Order: sequence, then structure tokens, then C-alpha cells
Amino acid sequence: MAGYVREVSRRVFAQEFRESNLTFKDGDDQYSPQYLLTPTGAKVNRLFIVGTLIEKEDIGTDSEYWRGRVSDPTGSFMIYAGQYQPEAAQALAECETPAFVAIVGKPSTYTTAEGTVLTSVRPESISIVDVTTRDLWVADTARRTLERVKDLDNMDSNVVKAKEHYNTDKDHYSSMVKEALRSLKEDL
Amino acid sequence: MDKTAENIKSKFLELGVDIPIEDIVDRLDKLVTKFKVPLDEARRSVITYFLKENDLDRNAFFGGQSTTPDSRSTPDVKLNGIDEGGKWVNIKAKVLQLWDSSHESVSQVGIIGDETATIKFIKWARDMIPDVEEGKSYYFKNVVSNEWNGRFEVTLNKNTVVEELDEDIEVISSPIGGAGDGQPAPMVNVADIAEDGKWLSIKVKVSQLWDNSHESISQVGLVGDSTGTIKFIKWTSADLLDLTEGNSYLFNNVVAQEWNDKFELTLNKNSSIEELDEDIEIASSSIIFAGAMVDVQSGSGLIKRCPECKRALTKGACMEHGKVDGTYDLRIKAVLDDGNTAQESILKRDLAEQVSGITLDDAISMAADALDQGVVLDQMKLKLLGKYFIVTGSKVDRYILVDSIELQDGLDMEMLDELITEAEVL
Repeated sequence: MAGYVREVSRRVFAQEFRESNLTFKDGDDQYSPQYLLTPTGAKVNRLFIVGTLIEKEDIGTDSEYWRGRVSDPTGSFMIYAGQYQPEAAQALAECETPAFVAIVGKPSTYTTAEGTVLTSVRPESISIVDVTTRDLWVADTARRTLERVKDLDNMDSNVVKAKEHYNTDKDHYSSMVKEALRSLKEDL
Repeated sequence: MDKTAENIKSKFLELGVDIPIEDIVDRLDKLVTKFKVPLDEARRSVITYFLKENDLDRNAFFGGQSTTPDSRSTPDVKLNGIDEGGKWVNIKAKVLQLWDSSHESVSQVGIIGDETATIKFIKWARDMIPDVEEGKSYYFKNVVSNEWNGRFEVTLNKNTVVEELDEDIEVISSPIGGAGDGQPAPMVNVADIAEDGKWLSIKVKVSQLWDNSHESISQVGLVGDSTGTIKFIKWTSADLLDLTEGNSYLFNNVVAQEWNDKFELTLNKNSSIEELDEDIEIASSSIIFAGAMVDVQSGSGLIKRCPECKRALTKGACMEHGKVDGTYDLRIKAVLDDGNTAQESILKRDLAEQVSGITLDDAISMAADALDQGVVLDQMKLKLLGKYFIVTGSKVDRYILVDSIELQDGLDMEMLDELITEAEVL
């Protein structure tokens, strides 16, 4: 059966996510999915994050609009949930900080007046998880990131596009992964 | 495609209409290439278009020269003489099998045979022709031959006259072995099944029974032996005993059918089932998938099923049986995601209870308290989303039908060390 295929939730560390700024659409009608291409060539329409919710704030004026900061071993993700993400907004409102959270969401970008591109996550769901889940995610994300770093020598069109745009430094990302994995080992 | 176009052109020429070949090719190509229509369908559509364009009767094209043949000019033929579609013929043949009609517009369908060959026949409901009986011989006058998917069949129509014969038409012994003559079809293993339309007997264990999709189907699911697993369909009209999951059976005289490149077994009126005392071992065709649960889809949680066909109700109504008093059930339709694949997975009641910690009774009272059965889904999401699981099960279409599910409960230190080594050498 052809047709709708659910977008895979990509695994990207906060540092790589923050260093991403290239968005594009597959196809040119208004319903074509939008993607964020990361420096190691992950083509992200949806991502899965597990980290620590370290801050949250209702920055809405008329209605609730929640901003949260979720950290992983390499940095932090900004997440924004308002009236169009009611379940996620409610979860954020009720959640205590800090807490381990798992988030499934869509990448979103914002360009500042100075031309800097800021990335954030628009959550579809936020749930409270335990530390085991968080550790599993770090290992999981390390593995997927290493796979992408290894594939940087390929001629895959996304990889080529990513390398052209970011001039990707392999060592930068392999040492990021190494640090993340070491932190995991030290914690235990 | 060019051959099809030529064929259409020459048929129209016979009717005295000369259609430029480019026009035919253009229309065919547009349908096949741009709109992905299968060639058979495209051919039909193109013919219809040009018939209309030239004010011709469909029967003129499909039925040869005249729309109401007089039987004096219709030739008597033997079945192996049918080698062309769209011919009017008379045949003397014996009804070997009657199949379950898959559609209400078909009144009878099955196989007839004579001493030279066997052929499928179709009798339409609209033509009001008396029913034929299995094992009897008839003189079929004014039937039309058709080619369908590379095979021939004959169609009875409103000009057809069916006369029962006193003589017993002798029938070629081959290509359909087994059924009809009381001899059981040969015993095979699942892995040996490789031929469409083959009658066979097989010993299997029922590994799964699925939600039934149609009232004419009494049971559908998966059976297997030591060589593999295969889907089976048991028709309601076959009137056979109901199978139980986990039990082993001997299926006599079932038919292998090819569907979407896969084989399935159909149990029909000529089939029989015997329950076996032995336990047939099923080859493990199960797959393992590990990933995070990123979604619990709608249709999960507390649902109601139609008491007759077991299908899930939508808004209290069954697609087949309308408004019914449903029976409660629990299930989870989960998406597990490993970062490379988003895998849809279905958990039946026992696994849904195990993994969510909510029993069916809990769920029913939760829903009653909240006046909303959606609370069950919400609770399941709270409990399950974002966590890592390992499931085993069998892959059916895009789903895994889950046999077991476990929470991943810790890091594998060896894997961690391997990953660190990998990162260091990069």
C-alpha cells in the first residue's frame, strides 16, 4: 500500500541540533513536509529527545505559551508549546523541574534580525520518564550519530548537501559523541 | 503496450472503424505511465472510449460480429479449443467445482471440464439462468470465451441456454487433482506451496486468528508448520469447525492461492478439517524490533468490537453489521521507532494489559467514572510514551503483530564500550 508513511523520529544531540540552520521542503506544494538538515546529514522532520527539563516558563500573553529547556550531555533543546499543542502544553504546565522527559516533536527554526537561525522543537508529546530511558537515549543517539559521521564519506545527496552547507568537521562530531558516551560511563 | 494497441486497432478494423494507432497508443500511455493504471484496465478503458466515440455497442466488440448469435452459427467446441477471447461457443461439460461467489453480482462461479481440458466459468446474477449442480453435465449454448490475466474462462450471459445432459461427460484427469473425486489432495509442507490454484492437504498449527474483515469469512489468520507460516481464510459457506489458536489440525483439500506475490490457503466447501493430537512445531518466522514508543495511535485503549465479526466499532457501529451492542476489548496500536524505521505494532488484550498495567476491568471502570473511554488511551500514553521496548512478533503488511513485549531495562555495557571505541577511531 503506497501513500502515507510516518516520518521517522531522528536522533540528534542538542549540540548538533543547535548548529543546524538549513531547512528545505521535499516537493513544492504547501503540504510538502519540511526538513531540517543537520551537519552530519540527518534529514529531520520529526525527532525523539530524552533529556532533563531544566527550565520552564509560561511566556504567553493572552493564552498560555510554554517554553522549556531540555538538556542532554552536549547542550540543550528549546521547546515551545502553545494552544496548538494542547497535550504537550498541559504536560509542561503540570511538570516539575528538573525532570527526565521524553519528547516527540517537530523541528522549527527562527531567524533573528541579525540573521542568526535559532532551532527549537514543537512537541507532539511530552512524557515523564526515568533515568534508564535517558541513558538508553544517549547511547541510541550516539550510535545513530556515529553512523551518520561514518557515512559522511558517502555521496548520498543529503550528505553532499550537508557538507557543502556546513563544511562539516568530522572530528568535531565524533568527539561530541565520545564525550557523551564517556559521561554515560562516568555516571554509572 | 504496442501489442495491446495493435490488438485494439485490428479489433476495431474488423468492425469497420479505422482508428489511428497513435491515438490508441497515446491514450494507453497516458493511463499506464502517468496515472499508473494497470495495462489490463487501461486497455478496457481505451476500448470503451473508442466504442463510445464511434457509437458502437460493447457487445459488438467483445462478442464478435453479432450481438445475438443464433445458435446454428455458434460452433460446438471442446474446451481445449478455446484459445481466443470474445468468441461465442457451445460446450458440453461437467460441473466439477462450484466456488464461493465473491460478489453478489455473480450467481455461480467454478470449474467445468470435458475430456480435453477444464475451464473456469462465471454465471451472472442478472441473467436469471437456472443454477447448475456439481457433478452434473450440461450443454452450455451461447457462452462467451474471455481472456483474463492470461487465462481463458467462459461467461454465461442472457443469450445462454443451459440444458442438463443425461450422459456423463468424461473429464480430463489432470490439472485439478484431488477435489471433487473424493481423493484427498497430496500432503505438502508450507514451504512447498508455490503454485496458484493447487489443491493440497497440510498439517498445521494455528498461530494467530485475526480480526475478521467480512461476514462471508468465518476465520482468518496465520497457520504454520516446521517449514514456515502462511495466511489462511476459512469461508463461512464452507461450514467447517472453528479453529482455536495454538491447536494443530489436518486440512484436507484446501486451495493455495497467490495474492500480492504471497500464497494463502483457502478452506472451502470441498475442504475438511481434523483436529490433531500431535503438536505441530511452527518455524520461528518472528522478528525482533527494538525502539522507543513514539506514538500510541487512536483506536488504542478501550474499544468495542462487533459481537458477530469481532471488528472494532467506530462510533458504536460496525462497518458490516451497523449499530450493534459491542463487547469491550483492550488493544494498543503503537509506533516503535529506532531512529531509522517507524514500526507500527499491534498488541492484543493480554499484552496491552501487561505492558500498561491496566486490565480490561480497570479500563471499563475508568471509562465509566470519566464518562469517556478516551481516558484509557490517555493513561496508556502517560505510561508508555517515550520508553524503549523490545518486541517480538510476526510482520504482517506494515504491522508487527506482537507476541511479546519487554521494557528495555538498562544499558548494555559491552555495547557502550564498543561505541566508545568506534568514536575514538573515527
